[in-house]
Amino acid sequence: MISKEEVLNLAQLARLKLSDQEVAGLQKDISNILDYVGQVSAVSTGKEKEKPLQRNVMRPDELRAASSPMDGKEEALRGAFPKREGDFNVVRKIIQKDE
Amino acid sequence: MTDLNKLSIVEASQKLAAGEITSLQLVEACLAEIEKRNPSLNAYLEVFSDAREQATTADARRVAGEKGALLGIPLAIKDNILIEGRTASAASKMLENYVATYDATVIKKLKEAGAVFVGRTNMDEFAHGSSTENSAFGPTKNPHDESRVPGGSSGGSAAAVAAHMALGALGTDTGGSIREPASFTGLVGLKPTYGAVSRSGLMAMGSSLDQAGPLTHTVADAELIFDVIKGKDLLDSTTIDETSYPPRAATKKMGVPRHLLEKGIDPDVLERFEASLETLRAKGYEVVDIELPLAGLALAVYYVIMPAEVSANLARFDGVRYGHSQKGETLFDDYAASRGEGFGPEVRRRIMLGTYVLSSGYFDAYFGKATAARAQLRAEVERVLEGVDCIVTPTTTSPATKLGEKTDDPLAMYLLDIFTVTANLTGNPAISVPMGTVEREGKQLPIGIQFTAAHGNESTLFAAAKTLE
Repeated sequence: MISKEEVLNLAQLARLKLSDQEVAGLQKDISNILDYVGQVSAVSTGKEKEKPLQRNVMRPDELRAASSPMDGKEEALRGAFPKREGDFNVVRKIIQKDE
Repeated sequence: MTDLNKLSIVEASQKLAAGEITSLQLVEACLAEIEKRNPSLNAYLEVFSDAREQATTADARRVAGEKGALLGIPLAIKDNILIEGRTASAASKMLENYVATYDATVIKKLKEAGAVFVGRTNMDEFAHGSSTENSAFGPTKNPHDESRVPGGSSGGSAAAVAAHMALGALGTDTGGSIREPASFTGLVGLKPTYGAVSRSGLMAMGSSLDQAGPLTHTVADAELIFDVIKGKDLLDSTTIDETSYPPRAATKKMGVPRHLLEKGIDPDVLERFEASLETLRAKGYEVVDIELPLAGLALAVYYVIMPAEVSANLARFDGVRYGHSQKGETLFDDYAASRGEGFGPEVRRRIMLGTYVLSSGYFDAYFGKATAARAQLRAEVERVLEGVDCIVTPTTTSPATKLGEKTDDPLAMYLLDIFTVTANLTGNPAISVPMGTVEREGKQLPIGIQFTAAHGNESTLFAAAKTLE
């Protein structure tokens, strides 16, 4: 059974606030699911030299359109921000000057 | 003329072309049905207030000389597909009031074809689920039996079409979310080859797994929609075209992985399956046994890879630029509170699981192994499809479950995807087609059969599926 500390650590990594009840529930759920998906560890790796599916898709370094796809979208994009002050979108101050 | 909403897209298209009906009449018929049935079914989260105007515009385009099979056809669109200027919430509180700032490529193509968007349909939140019970705005009911689920995550789209509240719909399929609801509601549901349809403008769930596709009453209708929405797209570099995969000669053979059907399937579902195989034989196909040794692992592989990709794709929802925003003590608390509140429990569960399998110390054991298994599974399916046209299984092990039946146990819910996830992992195209009904508590419930074909061979799927219509 995955520990409470592990669940809290994951919540930290995932930037999720969880209630105590949910943490307990997740301990159970994640453990059960990991038991099931743990089957994948039986797979042997490196057997076949796997051909990578990814391929490069290139295009010439040229302007594609006469206008920017963001033309006329500014108001829509601004409007989605939770906080606005006139022409500015408000976010938390994240860079603190060292005093 | 009554019951115009019960026409297939092909039939409606012919009548529109012949001037027998107008798009406005089609849309009015759908809206009348919506008024009757949507309050209890909850298939649509929003019916677009300008649906009639869209129809009138389509009729005007036709008068001006345009043709096109989808011109004026009313379609329902899943809530995770962006239509510029309209709300798209992925059935989540996180995006409850989010207005899309651009059109998805599939929407752009449907607009060019003149389709009418009737409304946005309910789904499992962020497409996380197989029953539409994970919607933040209430579940959708199965039109065939309102005590049961329509399947998920494209349950709203499926219910809308099955109840004739639209002539067709778009859904998205990451682990079976088009095909499973199709099976539960008696529709045709297609998951195209990975890359056949652009993902630009789809809210990403698992970027290596997602595909948008049609839910319709007939195979010809699904083919019609697929032909309009497919195509290479500069905005999605994973897209392919007809030259990407070599054409194949038909073998007229259908492959059944008998070893996967030995247990866990309802007996009457198996009966319907065998009866369908008989129909295939009668139509000239040879049905052979095939082996897919790694297929038993597919669900485990999926539930490692998918949550991992989900945890990455949903990191963008931080309450800063859009979406639900909650202020905490610190920046970290802002994120944690916004996300904790905006996301529902299943979404949080999958993000946590994904974070685990990607975290240092566990990455190789889970994600590394799952990725290797995935490559091996893909190679295995490719090899098998060299000898047969399609791999055939039931789409689901049982008909639609009851509302609330699987909601206590996440793993039990995940097992609903057992036959569908393989095609997402390997990128093969797959279609679910109705194979009759089975009886539960006096009600006839639909059940689907699934065909999987080689990459790029949707035509093989359509041919096989048509034999069962």
